Amino acid sequence: MKIKKILIANRGEIAVRIMKTARMMRIDTVAIKTAVEPNAMYLDSADVVYDNSEDTAEIPVFLDIDKIIAIAKKTKANAIHPGYGFLAENAYFAQKCIDNKIIFIGPSPGAIYKMGNKTIARRIAQANGIPMAMGSEGNICNEEDAVIIAEKIGYPVIIKAASGGGGRGMRIVRKSEEMEMMFMTASKEAELTFNDPSLFIEKYIENPKHIEFQILGDRKGNVIHLGERECSIQRKHQKLLEEAPSCSLDDKLRKKMGDMAVQIAKAVGYSSAGTVEFLLDSNKNFYFMEMNTRIQVEHPVTEIITGIDLIEQQIRIASDEELKLNQEDIKLNGWAIECRINAENVQAGFAPDPGKIESLNMPTDKYVRVDTGVRAGSMIVTSYDSMIAKLIVKGKDRKEAIKNCKMALDKVWIKGTKTTLPFFRMLIRHQKFLDGTFTTAFIEKDIDKYYNNSEYEEMLAAWLATKLFVEENLNDNSINVDYKNGKEMNPWLLNKRINQF
Amino acid sequence: MVNDNLKNKKLIALSSENRKFSFSLPLKHTIRIGKREYDVKLKADEKYGTYILWKNRKYPVEIVRSRQNKYEILFNDISYTFTVETPFSLKRKEVLESKRGKTEKEYIRAPMPGKIIDILVREGSEVLRGEAVVILEAMKMRNDILSPVSGTIVKISARPNTNVMKDDLLVEIKI
Repeated sequence: MKIKKILIANRGEIAVRIMKTARMMRIDTVAIKTAVEPNAMYLDSADVVYDNSEDTAEIPVFLDIDKIIAIAKKTKANAIHPGYGFLAENAYFAQKCIDNKIIFIGPSPGAIYKMGNKTIARRIAQANGIPMAMGSEGNICNEEDAVIIAEKIGYPVIIKAASGGGGRGMRIVRKSEEMEMMFMTASKEAELTFNDPSLFIEKYIENPKHIEFQILGDRKGNVIHLGERECSIQRKHQKLLEEAPSCSLDDKLRKKMGDMAVQIAKAVGYSSAGTVEFLLDSNKNFYFMEMNTRIQVEHPVTEIITGIDLIEQQIRIASDEELKLNQEDIKLNGWAIECRINAENVQAGFAPDPGKIESLNMPTDKYVRVDTGVRAGSMIVTSYDSMIAKLIVKGKDRKEAIKNCKMALDKVWIKGTKTTLPFFRMLIRHQKFLDGTFTTAFIEKDIDKYYNNSEYEEMLAAWLATKLFVEENLNDNSINVDYKNGKEMNPWLLNKRINQF
Repeated sequence: MVNDNLKNKKLIALSSENRKFSFSLPLKHTIRIGKREYDVKLKADEKYGTYILWKNRKYPVEIVRSRQNKYEILFNDISYTFTVETPFSLKRKEVLESKRGKTEKEYIRAPMPGKIIDILVREGSEVLRGEAVVILEAMKMRNDILSPVSGTIVKISARPNTNVMKDDLLVEIKI
């Protein structure tokens, strides 16, 4: 069936990203306006805006299966793109779309279900001879069984939620005495977050690298991979910086891991774009971790080195087109790095710092791509994630990509909220990042501060504080910021005051 | 370091880590490093907002908070907090602080609206600076709320699995 109109069941930068490709393919798009973000930038990219801003339900519309289906019908959209997060990996939602004769732009409900349930996914991987960290064969019911299995595979072990993701419901256990408490809290957390308290256990690989393979499969059974991404720079399992390719793989290992990734995708009859995640230990042994059945935040780095538009491929595959690419057609060119610039305070342990973006200036150099859903005046709201923009930088090799990234980071000027920029400016100069020896433990173990600054920078800040004090208190032409009201004004509007000095 | 002019007309910016930066008055638009004076220019334009020009490089600057003589400055996206003191007020402050001794309290408040997931301390327990005391879930993230000081927990107002608003009191610590 031909896709004529796509409802975007998402918001922010990914909604903008999907609509960009849809426009290129001359497909109409529908975006949903919500009460939380009635002036959001993604609404401007849509051909039709469905106004749902009167809806005051506590659960966001992007998570409400029945409402999304109803909106698709009302706006006569014959396809839904779920983006990432929200309903992207909900097998029931994918099935509901099919039942209502709406094309779900993603894999089949069966593939989502099998890969979404970690226990089933492990069983499939095992049956296909995919290397895995030793672990429990099924779910573990109580802490006594957990101890028995942990002793068999050897500590440290990691407890994971069977329906989990994103680091929730995960606990690392280093000795049997810790098991009872860790098991209980993980189970409780899994129940709260995923409505499913079941857990499984596997061997915990110390200090691995996170390597994932981008997969593309069509509905005729063809599956290829588009190379790997390295996402080892993470904090609490939240990725911060991703790059493609990885400096830890050579062509031989790339082929071996890529073939395995294709094999596991074929085993579940996977169609659409997907990601097979592996852990790579220091001896270059790799272990299957999980498969993500959605387009991922970090997909642009793959697009840059392969020249393939992944959203376009998703749309074509969903319209039953056959993949026109063979594995031999896939050539990796150059290097790409993505920094996730979030509204977070790195000096307060990456605590979200929501608020209004007063100004946003991103570099426009030809080696830079920016994917964003905000602009000056936009709000970073507490209801959603804290993403401001993805800064994607390319180079002919890793060295040049890093050099370009360094320059690009200095050209990003965001005012209104604190951002993760200081972290990236430190990271991109760190020896372990430069020589490629960083692992997923980098943030926890290799740095003692999330940012770097010089003594001069602090002195200049001190000079500015003193200058403000002088202007406010000592000069005759003081601009009359009285103490009582000082707290009331919007302090981010410094430039207005400086023009008066 | 800064030219610490011995005329008593000067101001001292005291950082939250008790580092002192002295500036003589009238405040000059230069800073001395070693034997050289470097120009500091505070500028603003429509597109980028406010910035400091220093050694041919532009650094974005912003005031995040200002209250009486206390300023939180964002310089190149890194935050610094100073109180600006005269030599006299600094001396008074130091005397007061030494007299007050260790009876000061620190109030930890919710930095953003969210849900309390866990409380990691008990009333009466000791915490170290930088230790997590509460886990707050907001914006799809679990955020460790860290203690800014070392001390003893005297009161816990937060309750697990309850929602809190920004600036709600979570924990009281006696320093």
